[in-house]
Formats: sequence, structure tokens, C-alpha cells
Amino acid sequence: MTIRPPSRIVRPAATVVAALVLLLLAPRWLDRGTLNDLWSIAFAIVLASAWNILGGFAGQISIGYSAFLGIGAYTTALLSLKGIGPYWTLPLGALLGAAFSYVVGLPTFRLRGPYFTIATIGVSEAIRVYAAGVSYTGGSSGLRMPPGTFDFGRDYAAMMILAAAVVLLSIWIRSSALGKALSAVRQDIDAAEALGVQSTRVKLIAHALSAGIVALAGGLFAINFQYISPGSVFDFRLSLSIVLMPIVGGIGTVAGPILGAIIFSYLQIKLLSTPALRDSYLFLYGGLLMLVMLFEPRGLVGAWQRLQGLMRLPMRRAVPRV
Amino acid sequence: MTKLIGVLVDSLLAGGLYATMAYGLAVIYGVMRIINLAHAGFLMLGAYATFFLFTRFHLDPFLSLVVVLPAFFLIGVALYLSIVRRLPRSGATPSMESLLLLFGLWLVLQNLAYAIWGGDTQSILTSYTMKSVSLAGVRVGVPLLLVFVASAASLVALTLFLRRTYVGKAIRAVTANRDAALISGVNADRISATAFGLGTAFAAMAGSLMSTLYAFTPDFGRSFLLKAFCIIVLGGMESAAGVALGAFVLALLENVFGAYTPIPTTFQDAISFSLLVVVLVLLPQGLPRLFARRSAPAR
Repeated sequence: MTIRPPSRIVRPAATVVAALVLLLLAPRWLDRGTLNDLWSIAFAIVLASAWNILGGFAGQISIGYSAFLGIGAYTTALLSLKGIGPYWTLPLGALLGAAFSYVVGLPTFRLRGPYFTIATIGVSEAIRVYAAGVSYTGGSSGLRMPPGTFDFGRDYAAMMILAAAVVLLSIWIRSSALGKALSAVRQDIDAAEALGVQSTRVKLIAHALSAGIVALAGGLFAINFQYISPGSVFDFRLSLSIVLMPIVGGIGTVAGPILGAIIFSYLQIKLLSTPALRDSYLFLYGGLLMLVMLFEPRGLVGAWQRLQGLMRLPMRRAVPRV
Repeated sequence: MTKLIGVLVDSLLAGGLYATMAYGLAVIYGVMRIINLAHAGFLMLGAYATFFLFTRFHLDPFLSLVVVLPAFFLIGVALYLSIVRRLPRSGATPSMESLLLLFGLWLVLQNLAYAIWGGDTQSILTSYTMKSVSLAGVRVGVPLLLVFVASAASLVALTLFLRRTYVGKAIRAVTANRDAALISGVNADRISATAFGLGTAFAAMAGSLMSTLYAFTPDFGRSFLLKAFCIIVLGGMESAAGVALGAFVLALLENVFGAYTPIPTTFQDAISFSLLVVVLVLLPQGLPRLFARRSAPAR
């Protein structure tokens, strides 16, 4: 029996549900451009929060998540072209993504820390090269979704629900036994093993969860953009931003990835609409990453907590201990 | 038979270049236990520096090494002193912070190249680019041969430097046992700065040499970075000889796959990337460990 402090689950969960209700009603008041931006932000939140399940809670930094996005997107596109309703293909995409995460994780989880990270770059690059070379992905010319599968309202709602679901899942994992095991693996894998945590098993579970969610987002990506190619869904840049968002926001927390995702999508929208800045995103990503690593490896959430600590200190001193 | 000789010659020539490329990564890892993802960025900048000197001053790509090597050594030292030194020291295994910091640096370098040279594919065409000579009955391109000579010379010079000079011996000492080296009075900060400069210079040199063989963009370097990882994991990260062995094995595998299997060349990079994962998982101590007595338990 575990006793969960209600404020760690109930209050954040209520906030998420309230935000979801507002966002689902938003199409009544907002114009299409703003809704498109909201879709992008929700998409980023899904990717960042899903990655955070493995990368943040378990501390296994993987720079290869575009593989799962690509699997989801291609499952949806290929099956839709066979005449299956695109939303019916989503569960299969998620399953395939999770299954593939198992295939990747089984060997690579034997590696620790940076070695694991390097191996994930290798896996994702191998997949990208493979996907660009085989014919059923459409090669470099890509695939177009069949006509009549586009319905922005529906895709918007689906993305909002997915984003809320992922955040709720993160809140639940944080206080669950799984979350405790993942946190133990992050802090000291040998100590965790000694205490009976099956580290490979919990890492595989976290990997499958996050990969499945990213594959789902990939399916919705294919439906919304109606066109995918290996260059767009297996892009290294995509893997990159999936990693950067949670790290800048605050790795291993629930709020961090959301914060990072909002900042990154906002920057991206601004960058794309300013021609002079369009080509400087790498500079921005790289610079942010360097700043965070040099000054606050726990990201914006860490900086906020530090600030709070500073504010609290004088107050404590004001009351003399008797 | 001729085919086999051809494969061997090609592998040897490519192996020389691969060794130069991988050594820069190995020396930084050895001394500081840092995985330098910015390696790919320096590789790319080395190619562009040579390109710049070639188009602007009509300097021969191989002569440009005289400028490129010292310049990148200084850049590496400056980066170490200004940024890398601020990181908390990595323990026995590299820290995630250093990996991600240098990852960020790589992105910044890449963007720098986009800003200066744009995203177009560039290449260097000299009077001898298309020439070839016969070697043991195999036609070999002149640039490839020159690249091999330059890399071999650099590796010999490096070996002499590591064995004969104080700084070289200190680098090997810190690599072998950091604490013991510190107790013996080695100035770790200075050795680290030198190693970072050396690693950066070797990366730039490899990039410079590659610019005579391949076309390049600011994204150039990523696939070579993964190959370099593959090599240092194969060769064990301790010695220049190990790195050379790993480089030759990777080049041989690539060429054998290219010559004897129907795998199309577009998938050739996928071979080395998959090999990287396989080697990391199955042989975390590298090939030399296979020959050495199995004394230490695998990590």
C-alpha cells in the first residue's frame, strides 16, 4: 500500500483537465492560425513529455526518438493509402513503435549513460539511411495521404486529448511505484539493482510507453500535414528538439517538458515567420543547451527552484530560533 | 584475387584517414573522459577552412594543413579554457553534462557554417582530383593516396610526440591513470587544454583531408562522427595503434560489404552505424581486449 499525498496528483491533474476543457472549447473563439499554433505546441508537449518518461524519470538520454515518430507516421500513411480510416491506424502505430522500442532497448540498455546515448544516435541514423533507401517509404519524394482524410477540427481535438493524457500519465508515473523505480535507476543503477529493482525491465517499460506515445503523435502528424517523407519524420533535427525541450525546461519533472515545449514551439513559430532568423535555429538550440549545461543542468524548473530558495532564505532568518 | 587486393588497398588507404579522424576523439576521451560530439563540427569546419583557403588564396588543400592545424589547435585550447573547463570533472565514466554541452557546441558550429557559407554542397577540385595511379595492379586516385600519406605522417608524428616529449608522456599518463598522474605532479589543467587542442586539430585535419575526397555541407561530419565512435570502441580508447587497428577493421568491413554483398551503396553508412551498436553492446572493451588475457570483468 502506498499513501499518495493528494496534492501531488489531484491538484495537477485537475489543472490539466481544466486546461483540456478550455482548449477543446477554444475553436469557438480563436481563428485558424492560432489554433494551428496551439496544435504545434500540443504536439511539442506530447513529444517532450513522452521523451521525459525515459530520458527524465529514468535518466536514459536517447537522441533517437525520430525513429518512433517516423514509425507512427508511416504506419498511418501506408494503412490509410490501403483505405483504412486514419484514426483506426493509430493504435497499431503505437504498438509498432512500442515493439520497436523493445527491439532497440534490449541490446542498448546494457550500455550506461553516454554510451547508451551514442548507441541511440547510431540506431536512429541507421534507420534514417534505411528509410531513405527503400521504396515503400516513397524514398526521398515521400508519401501523400489519400484525399478526404484531412479534418483539422478532429486532429486538433485528438492532439489536445493526447497531450493532456501524456501529462496526466507523467503525473501518475511520478508518484507510482514505476516512477520510484525509474528514479532509483537514474540516481544509482547499481544501488537500485541491489535493492531489487529490475533495471532493464523498468527501462524497457518506460521506453515502450514513451515510444508508443511518440508513435501516436507521429500518426496525428501524418494526418495533419497530409504529407510525410523520410526527410521530414526521420529528421535528426526532430530527434534533437525532442531532447532539447525537456532539458531546457527541466529534466525529470512534469512541468519542465511542458515549459520547454511551449518555449520551443513559440521560438519556432517566431523563427519561421522571420526570414532573417529562419536559419539560426541551430545556433539557438545549441546556445540554449550550452547555457543550461553550464549554469543549471536542471533547466528552467531548477533555476526557478533555486530562485525560490533564495527568496525564502531571508524570511527564515527573520524568525529567530528559540 | 585482383578484387581482393583492391579491397585490401582501398581499406588500408581509407583506414589511414579514419584513424586520423578517430584519434582526435580518442585523445579527448582518454584524458578528460569527455565524449566530444563537437568533433563532427570541427571536422566540418576543417573542410570549410581548407575550402576557404583554396578559393580565396588558391592554396593547395594539402598545404593548407600548415595553417589549419595550428589554428584549430589554438581554437581547441581557447574553447577548453573558456567553456569545457567550467564543467564538473567527469569521473570514471563520462558525464552527461559534458556530452550535452559539446552537443550544443556542435550545433552552434554547424549554424556558424550555414551563416558563412550557406547550405549548398561544396567541393574542392584541384588539377589532380581526377588523376589516378596504378598500385599493386590496382587503380588508386591520387587524392586518396595523398590523403593516406598525410594521415600516416600525422600518426607517426603523433606517436613520436606521445612517446618522446614530456607533454606526450603526460597525456599518456593521465589517460592511463588520472589520479596517479596528478600525484606525480602532472598539471592536469594544462594537459587537458593541450589534449583538447590536439583533438580539435586532428578533427580539423581529417576534415581538411576529406574535403579533397568528398563533397561537403555544414551537415557534413555526422556520419563520420559515428564512424569515429565505432573505431575508438573497436580499437579500445587507449593507444594510437589501437585506433589505427579499429580504423582499418571498419574500412575493411565497409569495403568487403561493398565488394562482395549485393547491399546497395546507399546503405553503406547504415552498416557502420549498426556495427557501432553491435560493437558497443558485444565488445565494450574493444578488439585489443580479445587478444589480451581476460583479466578485468567486462563493464
